[in-house]
Amino acid sequence: MSRWRIYYTFAKKSFLRSAAYRFDVWSRIFSNLIFLLTWSSIWIALYGGKEEANGISFTSMLTYVAVSQFLSAVNSAGTPLWEIQEKVRTGDIALELMRPFDVPLRYLFADFGSVAFYIITAVLPVYILLFLIFDFSLPDSWSTWVLFIFSALLGFLIRYAIELTFGLFAFWLVETGGVVDLFYFAMSLLSGSVIPLWFFPDWLQSLAFYLPFQGIYFIPNAIFIGEISGAELLVSIAIQCFWVIASFLLLRIVWHRAANKVIVQGG
Amino acid sequence: MRILSYIQLYFRLVSAGIRAQMQYRFAFIMRIVGMLTAYAGTATTMWVVLYRFDALGQWNYYEMLFLFALAIVSWGFCIILFFHYISLDTYIVNGTFDRFLVRPINPFFHFMSMRFDVASFGQFIFSIVVFLWVSVALSIDWRLSKLLFLLASIVGGVLIQGGMLVMISALAFWTTKSNWFYWVVMFPARNLNNYPLSIYPKVVQWIAAFVVPFGFVNYFPATVILDKTPVGFPAYIGYFSPLVGLIFFTIAYAIWMLGLRRYKSAGS
Repeated sequence: MSRWRIYYTFAKKSFLRSAAYRFDVWSRIFSNLIFLLTWSSIWIALYGGKEEANGISFTSMLTYVAVSQFLSAVNSAGTPLWEIQEKVRTGDIALELMRPFDVPLRYLFADFGSVAFYIITAVLPVYILLFLIFDFSLPDSWSTWVLFIFSALLGFLIRYAIELTFGLFAFWLVETGGVVDLFYFAMSLLSGSVIPLWFFPDWLQSLAFYLPFQGIYFIPNAIFIGEISGAELLVSIAIQCFWVIASFLLLRIVWHRAANKVIVQGG
Repeated sequence: MRILSYIQLYFRLVSAGIRAQMQYRFAFIMRIVGMLTAYAGTATTMWVVLYRFDALGQWNYYEMLFLFALAIVSWGFCIILFFHYISLDTYIVNGTFDRFLVRPINPFFHFMSMRFDVASFGQFIFSIVVFLWVSVALSIDWRLSKLLFLLASIVGGVLIQGGMLVMISALAFWTTKSNWFYWVVMFPARNLNNYPLSIYPKVVQWIAAFVVPFGFVNYFPATVILDKTPVGFPAYIGYFSPLVGLIFFTIAYAIWMLGLRRYKSAGS
């Protein structure tokens, strides 16, 4: 019980830290909205006045883009990959290893705190306003809402585990340039964050279905606009659950090795 | 004479920087690989965007690649000359900026020649490959005048994006923040600029043409080179790119020098 109190405190502290730097936190919504502008303009131009393309209606597509940018905003509030690598490079990570808590969990809960602050004070108000102004489609039943939120949470966990794992590669590679860029590329394309998987070439679509990234944006977005429903919905959430477990296992293994690596290097 | 000696000094300072970076050969290669991966990633995303559609607002895939590469090549020069300007805030806060003021050369010039990031080779490799590829695919007829215009518009693009970086840097004199402004404002704006301006709302197009002239970095010059019409603007607007760059950079330089004059050291 007291073990979890530590992590709760980490979440609370990082919530308060965000509140102290609220101007920096809120300003992020500005760049998020520019990305929303970019991608909604691209899709409006691609549809070019047509009501439907590739079986997806225009309104659904615009809603997909908006929900996706909403989730990107939420995911962007966590500790970024380069910050973890900076901790490894400067050796600050060693201080964390000496303390009586689990580092990956500590970061996760710290992220919960800063994400909560960002959602409550910036992302939610702005996106509620956008949904009131523009003609987006909303889920028609409360169960879809619940499943969307659940699926988005699973997506957050998958993203967290993969991003931290990639961040930890800094323990082995002095220069992580290519690896980091590959991660961001996979994150933006294969997750369906800007282009839904339905519009991919078939071979790329099958590739994306076998990778964890689709669980981050594509599945929750598609649930929101009602393109995934019924039995398919349950399968999709099961796939997400599988990737949460798999990516956390991988994170544990990489973390364990990385922690040992620090001891080996010593002094 | 003065300018000549400055150029000589620039290369001397910069060659020291290059030699220092070449000591870390692996890091140097990895950074270029990283840049290439990122740009190839954007090019792939563009390809996937267009896979089920013919064109994006009258622009086909090759034309979009050209538009993208035109922005990247000038960005490469900006990285060499001006990218480190956005970290001026760190220098001011740490008090290390003062060393640029105690030497008998122009502080703007001194700050410019402080760093030479060789990772920009990634930008050059990418954009040269794309230019060649697109030239063949669209069979662009590279007459001498067209080639000269391409070079002039690259200079224009460097001056516009460089001017933007210098302006962001100057904000540090007043607010002690500059890096932050880059990531919140300019980074997303550069992403927006990778796609044809004509797809955006009118107000965005006007801002990109007359307020923050991003449109002159790639979109307007590309319409001239590829014989396309810049919807809603006169057809000759692209030719103004170098002039717009010159004016914009002069304004940016004046603002930076103005900020410098009111700079007070953070130290005691």
